[in-house]
Formats: sequence, structure tokens, C-alpha cells
Amino acid sequence: MKTLTSPSELLSLRETLARRRDPSKPCIALCGGTGCRAFGSEPVLAALRREVERAGLSDKVDVMETGCHGFCENGPNLVIHPLGVYYCGVAEEDVKEVIYETVIKKNVAPRLLYTDPASGRQVRLEEEIPFYEKQKRIVFADNGLIDPRSIEDYIARGGYSALTKTLTGMSPEDVIQEIKDAKLRGRGGAGFPTGMKWEFTRKAPGRVKYLICNGDEGDPGAFMDRSVLEGNPHLVLEGMAIAAYAIGDAQGYIYVRAEYPLAVANLRVAIAQARDSGLLGDNILGTNFCFDITIKEGAGAFVCGEETALIASIEGKRGMPRPRPPFPANSGLWGKPTCINNVETLANVATIINRGAAWYAALGTEASGGTKIFSLTGKVNNTGLVEVPIGISMRDVIFDIGGGIPKGRRFKAVQMGGPSGGCVPARHLDMPIDYGTLQQIGAIMGSGGMVVMDENTCMVDITRFFANFTQSESCGKCSPCRIGTKQMLTILTRITQGQGREGDVERLERIARTVKAAALCGLGQTCPNPVLSTIRFFRDEYDAHIRDKRCAAGSCDALVISACQHACPVGVDVPNYIAYIAAGKYTESVELIRERNPFPSICGRICHHPCEVKCRRGELDEPLAIRALKRFAADWYFNNYIGLPEPFPVRNPERVAVVGAGPTGLSCAYHLARMGYSTTAFEALPVAGGMLSVAIPEYRLPNEVIQNEIKYIENRGVEIRYNTPINANFTVEDLMKDGYAAVFIGAGAQRSQKIGVPGEIEGLEGLYYGLSFLRDVKTGKQVRMGERCVVIGGGNTAMDAARSALRLGAKSVDVFYRRSREEMPVSRVEFEDAVEEGVRFHFLTSPTRIVSGNWKVTGLECIRMELGEADPGGRRRPVPVPGSETLAPADTVIMAVGQAPDLSFLPRDSRLERTRWETLDVDPNTLATNVPGVFAGGDFVSGPGMVIQAIAAGYRSALAIDKYLRKDASRVELRDEKKVIESLTAAPAGEEDAGALPREAVGKISMGLRTSGFTEVETGFTEEQALAEAKRCLRCDLER
Amino acid sequence: MPVQTAPEAPGISQDALRELIAGFPRDQSSLIPLLQQVQEQCGYIPRDAVDSVAGALGLFPSQVFGVITFYSQFYTAPRGRNVVRVCRGTACHVRGGKKILQLIQNELGIQDGETTPDFRFSLETVACLGACALSPVMVVNHSYYGKMNPKKIAAVLSQYASR
Repeated sequence: MKTLTSPSELLSLRETLARRRDPSKPCIALCGGTGCRAFGSEPVLAALRREVERAGLSDKVDVMETGCHGFCENGPNLVIHPLGVYYCGVAEEDVKEVIYETVIKKNVAPRLLYTDPASGRQVRLEEEIPFYEKQKRIVFADNGLIDPRSIEDYIARGGYSALTKTLTGMSPEDVIQEIKDAKLRGRGGAGFPTGMKWEFTRKAPGRVKYLICNGDEGDPGAFMDRSVLEGNPHLVLEGMAIAAYAIGDAQGYIYVRAEYPLAVANLRVAIAQARDSGLLGDNILGTNFCFDITIKEGAGAFVCGEETALIASIEGKRGMPRPRPPFPANSGLWGKPTCINNVETLANVATIINRGAAWYAALGTEASGGTKIFSLTGKVNNTGLVEVPIGISMRDVIFDIGGGIPKGRRFKAVQMGGPSGGCVPARHLDMPIDYGTLQQIGAIMGSGGMVVMDENTCMVDITRFFANFTQSESCGKCSPCRIGTKQMLTILTRITQGQGREGDVERLERIARTVKAAALCGLGQTCPNPVLSTIRFFRDEYDAHIRDKRCAAGSCDALVISACQHACPVGVDVPNYIAYIAAGKYTESVELIRERNPFPSICGRICHHPCEVKCRRGELDEPLAIRALKRFAADWYFNNYIGLPEPFPVRNPERVAVVGAGPTGLSCAYHLARMGYSTTAFEALPVAGGMLSVAIPEYRLPNEVIQNEIKYIENRGVEIRYNTPINANFTVEDLMKDGYAAVFIGAGAQRSQKIGVPGEIEGLEGLYYGLSFLRDVKTGKQVRMGERCVVIGGGNTAMDAARSALRLGAKSVDVFYRRSREEMPVSRVEFEDAVEEGVRFHFLTSPTRIVSGNWKVTGLECIRMELGEADPGGRRRPVPVPGSETLAPADTVIMAVGQAPDLSFLPRDSRLERTRWETLDVDPNTLATNVPGVFAGGDFVSGPGMVIQAIAAGYRSALAIDKYLRKDASRVELRDEKKVIESLTAAPAGEEDAGALPREAVGKISMGLRTSGFTEVETGFTEEQALAEAKRCLRCDLER
Repeated sequence: MPVQTAPEAPGISQDALRELIAGFPRDQSSLIPLLQQVQEQCGYIPRDAVDSVAGALGLFPSQVFGVITFYSQFYTAPRGRNVVRVCRGTACHVRGGKKILQLIQNELGIQDGETTPDFRFSLETVACLGACALSPVMVVNHSYYGKMNPKKIAAVLSQYASR
């Protein structure tokens, strides 16, 4: 590479290089970034080169090792040009196929193609990959196209033309103005306007000045600077040279953290090449401009990312910040004016000079021009480096580019800006990413780290994690940070260990605000951000850890025996009941379940299994089929157990009355009986079971099953009085006068809600309401079903109504839901079963009018919706799309849009306090109403919920009533308990030995049988299946 | 079975040290790069090297110690031949890095910051290795291992059993 002594020499070199390049010549561009190397790209590279040479193809096929492409998850990655075919996960043994099949014969190898996890589609070309499609790659434009160790590659693609333009036609002031106009802001975190910083440094008096490139990317989770330095070092060098020129003949330093050896190595090569070419050193390109760069390696201190600490480090001192003013622009390295810029900031400079400030500024927002690189990691399908225009929303990045949350889990929060940043919950996902907007919600842009968290991430634990990091990285110079970080960490650790105290959160906030206000440098000033933002948005998690010793994510070891048990609202000892099944001890299994849940057979059919979502086995392959296992054991019990269960002994004198013999009421009565109380349940209907008996269809929950469980409860000593409603004639007050020491009201939520849609006329033939429709079907009443049925709603009732309509003879059943599929509050199984049976779904469609003629339903007018901004709960509000009205012909319309508790049975003058929403007001911990001795819970208080939540409410109220009767005023605590059971089976497969054993599939009856009647659809596990499935359990509880 | 001799603590000879020092300007700004090279040679900063370095750069030994103890890269005790670094960055944490660290500690029998008695392995944690898409990550010497899971740990470590 000869030394270039003038701009025209550079130009002719570029032209020569360009001429030499044949764009039609195949080139295999293999990613050689740190990520792909970790996956073994080096042997692949060697094999590619060997094979190409061996086959005599060296002048026909190029093999190039490029820098990081940014899509590290699937490495080793390669792109075959000019075809554009993208392969991932390439191994040595694939090399021959890559060369002979794809490069030579242009045949694609499907197994090497990228599969989009969201759609399941295979993608051939790099440009079609959703991850890349929505990005705007300016800084990363060349990362996959050049060999970072070849200055010629860089020059051929236009490299150093910006420097040429600067040196030959622009004054330093011109350059500064251009950067200002481009609205380039510091990409390292603080977002200070770069042009201004250069101007301050330029104006500072003194001839000796320094330009430092800050490559100390210390934020855990951020690796964009690494990729730029590894993949396109010359881009940074060129930016530095232009910056040095603007500032005034500055001398250059690059400070790179020691943890990036490849970046250091590639920089050294690049600098040497630039020097040899005359692009660094004295009289660059024959001008008067002299500039050279020294590399300094960091020594492992996060705080050295801070300007003044970094300067101290270069000076050979302990990396401690100092007060400002004076700012580095006036007095920095060795007291001289110093400008420090982040790698990414400098990497944008050449493009701005080449394409102009106006073009660059237009890419971003009013306040910030250009693009920003984010490292998108954590619980997201596509992890990697994402370059997008500033102002894009977080939702677009996480869901459109990132492909959403894996394993069907729910998004919880995204951490923006690493340990200096804050977490952003679902409700703010539509916020545009910009320096100012993020600050409003307590987050920061930071270096660009975006760590996505799902429902299994504990926000308190994450905060403790960040506090641990900043505490250990605190330099110790100033008291607020040195002492404050330690204190915050201590409090957070205590909370995660179940030793949180009332007042801890307030204490944390006070300390956090003090540290923020008084710390000497950016580390201290921003380390309270995660604390303050998690308290702001996830206060309930802190409270649950402190008051109830509960970790909703199931991850704080000290509070959670096993995630499944902790996720169960009623705390069933899941691992042990599964262990019993694996040992063939089915009766013991059921008895263990019944210590908390008296409805194993019912829940084994219809529970929405929050335990399975948390099952750790799910991280390996698929979660345990906990629900189906429960059903197996319970069914076995009811089919095989000889003998009647004994009634619980009555040990206490007090009698308790329960209003409503549904799952909540019966659970309360059962647990009270277990605790030795005499209990009576008053049921208005001739059958017990509440919603289970009168709503849930027979094909999901046969009546016989319900009756078995109710009989069991009665046999254990609970008295049920049927046909005995509590109403104006026989009130709650009357019950207490009758001598019941306490009353629990679990009357359910059985009033159908009307939507209030025009045309919703009572008595219209063909118009039904979900609950009463299902009740009529379940109780055997004649229900007229037309041919074309339309169901409105998206919950369990809507599913049940739709599938029942099919079984009653409807030729077509269409469900209209005003939100999207992802937001439907039904389990995947229920939805899939409905689809299998032929129910058609129309999402984002809302009814506007029920059309009728002659008092008969003839159709439903609907309008399409689109999802707008998120409401405070994080759900996006559907908004009608004007002009998109349609008419769906129908002769039957079933409204299943929600239920509400029916308080009408309580007399108007009842002392019981109601809430604004016409529900009863109860204490959330004890479920006590304002009247001493009267408690209420379940659907009746909280609106329609899942059956296990109803059962848990019954258990909670039983504990509360017991405390009340013993005059114990302490809080009710639902703690997980673990029995010590001797080792039952062969040592359970630890994670280390567990092979990929797929989850057993629950049997179902044939489709013909399904839709022709109400026979139970699921047939459950065979004994063989149950034993096999039970053995898949990892026994997480045994680690404690 | 071969007799297990007590491993010698590695160090740096005075000649080698002088040669290293000769390559740097004799002032404070050389301190960190010089220490980095000393550690590159023998795996840590031996006590007697501190005095030579201090003298050569015109510093007090206390100043040199101040720098050594501030930066986590520097060690004052000999380390194992194979350095295992487990990443404790955010992305690795969210994907189960804590468990990986626990299992490695069990496998090696040492805690974070310690060295096995036979000087085969040293274990340390790093704040972030910048390979976040591969989380959880561990590095042994200069080799990166991504997407770690409990099964892979034994396999990775056994590659270094005889080094």
C-alpha cells in the first residue's frame, strides 16, 4: 500500500480499486465478530478458504471475513454476494455445500436458511429478514461488506472521501457548523450536542489539544461500539481525524476496554495501515494537517467511561472523576483542552460530511438527527444490534424488529440505558425513543442498551442486580455514591431475601434521590435511576415481596420453593404431587393437592395453569403438563378409590355460613371445615358449583365430574342447603342473628353485561346473552339455534358459547372480537380447539348495530378497529377505522362481552359498603367487608376470573375468618409449604442429564364426535403417559 | 500416578522487567500499559515488580499500588493457567447467568476471585463481555462460549483439564 501524498492520488487509488472489483464475482462474506467467533466462525473461515483453494477456485470465488453483522444470535452467519443469500448457524461440515451448491450452482440449502420465529417462514435473502428490513443502517452500512483489516476495502467503498472533502474545501468552523446542523448528539449516553462540544474545545485557549475516542463501553448489555471498532475501524479513525481538524490540530487517543481484544487488534492494524497510507501522521494527503492516534487499553473499571475518570486513567492514575467546572473542553488531559466523543458519535461524522447535515437531520426528530444503534437483548426473539432512526417507538423495535417475546410470554418491561437507565413498562411502549422523551419517564437513552424482560423477570431482583453492579464499580471518592450505593444494595438484597420491612421502599427512594442530587459524577447521578423507575412502575412487586413474601415472577430464591408452586394462586405443592404420580401413588397425590385445592378433577380440566407458564422445564423444551397430570390422578381416585372420606372433626364451637356454593364458597367452606369449623353453604339453585355447573359446557367439564367433587366436599362435613337463596327474605344480617359467627359471600358474577349497541332489543328472537345461553344449554333447556351464528366477545364465555352453538347445529359460527388475537384472555388450548372445530375468528372488529326485522335477528353491522395508544394498564386501545363498516348476515347473535357481580340480592339498606363500580368494597388482604364478621370474595368482588383464583379467594377468606374468630389481627399470609417426603423415585433427571423429551399430548375424541354433541373432548392421559410425563419434572424444589 | 509437585508461583525476572520498562516513556502515563504488559507475561503483578516500576516512572510504590488495586484487571496473586470469566451482565443475568456461575463454582470447587490449588483454573466474573446476543456467556482464556447451559459447562471445562 503506497503512501498517498495528495487527494488526487487517493481518488485514483479508489478508482483503480473499484475497477478491480467485479460485482458479479461471487463473494462469501463470513462474519468474524466476537459473537460469531464464539459460535466457531474461525474454523468455518479456515475451511472455506481451504476448500476454495483446493478446488482451484481462488480467482473465481472470494472469501472474506467481515466485521459484526449485528445479528449474533444465529451465528456463524454468512452472506453470499451477489446472490444476497443469508445463511446462519454455518458449521465446518456445511462448507462444501455452501461452495458447490449455493455459490456455484445457485441452489439454496434450506436447513441453513434463517427461520423467522414469529411467522415460521424461511427467509432466503438478507434484505428480506424482518430483523434487517426495518433498520436504517448508516453506521453499520459496511460492516458486512468489508474486511476490517483491509484499508483498501474501506477506500474502495468511498472511505476517507469525507476527510478529503474536509481538508480540501472546509474550514474547521464549516465542519463544526455542519455537525451542529446535523443535530448530532453524543451517543455515549448524555446526548450532549456534538457540534457544541467541538466548538467549546476549539475556542478554548491553547495550542495543544486532545481528541479522545471513548471506547470504554462498560454498560452491561451494550456492544455496539465493540462491533463498530471490530468491523469498521477506519470509519472511526476518519471521524476522529475530522473532529481533530475541527477542534484545531488535536492529538488523538482511543480508549478501548481491555475486554475487547479483537477490537484492539483490528484498531492496531487499521492505524498502522492508515499511517502507511499517509492518512494518519504528518501532512495528511499532502496538507498541513497532522494527526496521529495512540491506543490506550482500559483496565476494567466501568467508571472510566466517565470523561474525567477516563482522563485520569490515561494519565496513569486511579480512575476517579473530578468536579466540573473546569470542563474537559477547557482543561482535560494533562490540563489541556480535550474533547471526548463516543465511538458511535465519531462513526457518524464521515457520513454527515459526505451526505450533508440536512439529510442526516431529517432522519431523526426535531431535537436529534440521524440514527442510533441499540443492542436489543434479553427476552426477545431476535437479539442483536439494531440501527434505527431516532424517534422510532420502542414497540416497533421490540416487536417489529425484535420479533416479540419468545415462548408466548408476556412483555413486562424494557431496560433502556443499562444500570444508568430506567425500565419502561408496556403502557409507554409507543413513546418515541429520543433523549428528551425517555427522560420524562425516568429512563435514559444511554449507550443504547435495550434489555427486554418478560413476566418471569422479577423487577426487584433486576434492580438489585443493577445496584450490585454500580456498587462494585463505584470509585468511592464521593460519600453519596460510595455510601448510598451500598445502602441501596443492602436494602434491595434484604427485600429479595424475604426480609423486607415496611418503610423500605420509602427509605430506598430517599437515598436514591439524595445520591442523584449529590454525587460527583454521572455514575452516581444515574445509578439511582433503576431504583426510582422500578418503584414508580412496579411498586406492587416491591410491596408483594415485603408484605406477602411473594415474588410474582417466581425468581427470588429465598421466597420461592419452586416457581410452579409459587405461581399457583392457592400454593399447591406441585413438585411433590407430581412425584407421587411418578411413583404410582395416585391417592397420595390427590390428597396432597386437596390440602390446598379441593377441586383437583375440575381444575385438571379447566384451570388456566399459571404454573405451566413458570415451569423451568419450559426453558429446556416444553413445560410439564401439570394440569393434565392433576386430572389423571383425580380421575384415577374417583374411578378406583374404595370407601368414603371421613368428615373433618369439628373442633371449634363457632359456625360459619357461606353464601353461594360455587368454587369460591365451597373452597372457603371446605378449608374452614378442615380447620375444624362447622360450615353451611347456602345455595339459591338446586345444584351447587356456581359457574362450573351453570355455564361451563359439558364438553369441557362433565356434570358428573362436578358432582363427584361436590359430594366429596359434602362427605368431608360441609353442609350444603340447596334452593335456599339469600335475599330480601333471608338476609346476611339474618344469618348472623341465627348464630353464625361469620358469613362469607361468594355469590359469583352472573349478570351479563349489555354493550348498549343500537338494536340490542330485549326479547329479540335470536339474541342471546352468553351466560344465560350457556346456562340454558347446560341445564337442558331447549335453545333455538339458527344457521348463522355470530358471537361477540373474546373471553372464555365467548369461546364456550361459540363451540356450544356449533354443537347445537349452527352451520357457521363467527366470533367478533374488538381487540387482537394476542390480547384475547383465553388459553391457547381453548382457542386452538375452537379453531379446529370450525369456529371462525374476526379480530379487531367491533359491533355497531344489531340488524333485525320482524323481531328476528338478521345480521350484525361491524366496524374494523386498529390498535391505538396504550391505556394505563398497558393494553392498546382499539380505535375504529372510519369507513370500514361491514354487515355480517346472521340469525343468531350471542353477546358474551363480560359479566358483572349481581348485587341485587342485597337489600338496599344493607350496611355493606359498595365501591364506585357497584361491587362490594373489601380489604384486599383479609377480604373483610366493613361489617365485622362479614367477608366476601371471588368473582363476586373482583369480577369474572379464573377458577383457581376463585378457589384461592376461598382459601384466603377461610384463613381470614379463622383469624377473625380467634381475634388474631395479623395479616393473612398464603405461604408456600413443602412437605419433606422421602425420595420417592429414582433420582430425578437433573437439568444436566435431561435429554429432549417432548411433552406428552393429551388425547382428544375424534372431530366428528366433538362437533356432533357435548361429549367431553379431552380424554386425558393414559397411565403410561402420566408416568412418562411425571418423570420429566426437574424437581426444582429439591434444590432448596 | 504421577507425583503432584507443588506448582511454582510464576514471576517475572528482573531482566525481562527491565526490557519491558525500556519500551515506555518514563512517566506516569505509562503506568497502566506497563502493568498490563507485566501481567500479560506472568499472569499477575508480582510484589517486587512494583518497586521497579515505581522507580522507573518516578512514582511512589503506594501510587502504583493505588492503581493496581483500583482496576479490576490487575491481580496481586498468581492466577491459574486457565482463566474462566463468567459474564454477569444484564442480558446474561436475564437469561440465567447466575445459575451458570453457581454450577461452575461447584464444578471447579472455587468461588469468584479464587484459584484452584493446582493453579489450573482461576474464576472471575466480568461485568459485560459485549457478546450479549449469546447470553449467557463465559470465556476461558481468549475463547468465548455462548448460549451456555448446565449441560455444556462440564464439556467446556474438560477441554482445559490437561492444560
